[in-house]
Amino acid sequence: MREIKVKGASSICSTNFSDEETHAPQTEFGNDDQNSSLGVQFTPEIEKKYVHRVYDAIAPHFSSTRFAKWPKVAAFLSSLPLGSLVLDAGCGNGKYLGLNPGCFFIGCDISLPLIKICADRGHEVLVADAVNLPYRAGFGNAAISIAVLHHLSTESRRKKAIEELVRVVKKGGLVLITVWAVEQEDRALVNKWTPILEKYDEEWIGPGSPHERSSPSSFKLESIPETEENSLGHVRGFKESSAGRLRETTCQSEEDSAASDNARDVNNQQEYFVPWHLPYHRAEVSGASASALANGLAKKDDKKGAVVYNRYYHVFSEGELERLVSGMENAVVVDRFFDKSNWCIILEKTS
Amino acid sequence: MRLLTHNMLSSNVKGVTNGFPLGIEVEKVVEKQVELSADFLINIFSKIEWKALVDASRAVGYAELPDQADASMLDSDEFLRKFHHALLELHLEEGALLCPETGRRFPVNKGIPNMLLHEDEV
Repeated sequence: MREIKVKGASSICSTNFSDEETHAPQTEFGNDDQNSSLGVQFTPEIEKKYVHRVYDAIAPHFSSTRFAKWPKVAAFLSSLPLGSLVLDAGCGNGKYLGLNPGCFFIGCDISLPLIKICADRGHEVLVADAVNLPYRAGFGNAAISIAVLHHLSTESRRKKAIEELVRVVKKGGLVLITVWAVEQEDRALVNKWTPILEKYDEEWIGPGSPHERSSPSSFKLESIPETEENSLGHVRGFKESSAGRLRETTCQSEEDSAASDNARDVNNQQEYFVPWHLPYHRAEVSGASASALANGLAKKDDKKGAVVYNRYYHVFSEGELERLVSGMENAVVVDRFFDKSNWCIILEKTS
Repeated sequence: MRLLTHNMLSSNVKGVTNGFPLGIEVEKVVEKQVELSADFLINIFSKIEWKALVDASRAVGYAELPDQADASMLDSDEFLRKFHHALLELHLEEGALLCPETGRRFPVNKGIPNMLLHEDEV
């Protein structure tokens, strides 16, 4: 590797611009009505607190649990023509970057700590927002969005993210999207999630609002025994009952709902906080975890020796992805499937 | 950041009509060799804004690309090597990308561009 140091040269830019970057006071609102006036690209408070900051704090630990390549994604990537350019929006720890050695991958994620992990592995990556991709239109052969859209808290943002994926691929290009399903195969897992039962508006409003909730305790975060959401089937503390036995069904029945203390109505409940247990030896002595604990964004579980973070999810119901794309004029659905408790869709850009 | 990526990046600051190409402020460039794939180069050629690639490669110290190029040149091994080198082997490690309309600076650190906008730019 040869290093060239060139200081100060900027032969493309001809004018001197000031470095100032002004910051507007925080007045974020996240529900759809207010978003339409402020812009769908405005990040709602719930995503800042329960998606962005969480992933930043848990990045190395999260990355260490993200190694298994999902066969369906691998198959999609392997099916692409030799020499394809693949854009991974929300690439996380870069698990899929380079999976097909015949393609070139460019990944982006909103989390710098996760992107740094990708860069350390030699991948071509950048920090960007999936709702507003900084890419020219029509550049890629394919785009993937694996387990990303369920972190967007409004329908208009989810729609915009899909539009962005289609925008950045060329005509004839393919887009693969996967999201967590309402219809989880492991019911015990869902019982570890905290449904967001409060009115939609309330949490979405940020600082300065009379409705602001600064503490997650108002969302009924009980210290119920929980497992890692990727614990490969190991379930601890799950109350056994005849109705609560794990079943390999994709659809929910009344019986299963009754097993849950919170009696979640899976037909309507799509908003959840899903816990992430960051072991103490993984959490920094000072830094993200200390401030998260101080702010009430995370809690200590001494029994488990972990800092417990909550991640925001909007899990998708059957047909929801199709509904989001039904209005798109420049893309068609070429495949749709349910796999490992995820709804998946493949789009083709038509014009 | 490779010049392939630079050729795709566009400023998405609110109100900008044409955010491409981004200006390049260079502090540190490294060269990293990587295997040439003719399939990839042939596939990507039609997507590349050639002038932006030439200007960017000169900004990072590489002046071997011809001012103009067309697909027939892809038959030449020598052209492919230069195209490959400029596109994939030159990395802007430290510096910044500049919005052509607003001058907004997107920093590049450890080879990673940060294209996130602040709230007032969205």
